[in-house]
Amino acid sequence: MDQTAILNHQFVVAAYVITWAIQLGYLAWLGLRWRAQKRAAERL
Amino acid sequence: MKKLAISLYAAVTVALMIWGYYQAIYVAPDEQTMHEVQRIFYYHVPSAMVAFLFFAISLAGSIGYLSFRHSRNAWAQIADAWALAGAEVGVVFCTVVLITGPLWGRRAWGIWWTWDARLTTTLVLWLIYVSYLLLRRFAAGPQVQTLAAVLGIFGALDVPIVYMSNRWWRTMHPAPVFGGGPDSGLDPAMLRAFGWNVLAWLAWGLLILVLRYYVERQHQIIAAREAQDALNA
Repeated sequence: MDQTAILNHQFVVAAYVITWAIQLGYLAWLGLRWRAQKRAAERL
Repeated sequence: MKKLAISLYAAVTVALMIWGYYQAIYVAPDEQTMHEVQRIFYYHVPSAMVAFLFFAISLAGSIGYLSFRHSRNAWAQIADAWALAGAEVGVVFCTVVLITGPLWGRRAWGIWWTWDARLTTTLVLWLIYVSYLLLRRFAAGPQVQTLAAVLGIFGALDVPIVYMSNRWWRTMHPAPVFGGGPDSGLDPAMLRAFGWNVLAWLAWGLLILVLRYYVERQHQIIAAREAQDALNA
């Protein structure tokens, strides 16, 4: 593999990993909010 | 039954995501000039399409809220929850677009960013909806939902400008792949991979959109109950 191909590969990996980190991070945050609100609703 | 349907939908979505990834990385052929880095396209463009769709949902919700706020409060609250969900999930997808785009640009153009019409209008779109979310998060009072709805409508006006920007102006951003004239289009194998990824990201986006909507509805119900309790105390 030449240097250009290695760099191209690294950029593709970075793009895919960042995309998934953002999406899964947001899903986790939503899950936490969902749980907190469920508890708040039970308290009322 | 409802739980089973949601689980089934989530399972289909995960399967679509895996299949989309497989198509983008292993099945689609290498592009002749950009080679492997072109595969960023299979996440970048579907994310932009889903972001546009969700900003359109936010627009519909904002219009709905402004239409019903004096006549049907329950409907207005539902519309407002859709407006917020659309804006927030749209921002998530738009963030992906604004990160994957420069990653591709660095390899294809040699620069991370340029103040080109497509890039600038997309950044403006993202900033408008981030300001919408900040308004919803930090402002208080009876006018917040109305102000947010107006801002949501204003932000959605930028969507067609973003879409048309590389048709109206000379840009560094690639010309439209679809409907961009006789030279536009994709190789059938690339088109298949692209189609699967559009479907996968749409399914994923709808899943988190509905989840965000329910979280907001729950928040509205709790806030209404607390307000009622405060009045009764």
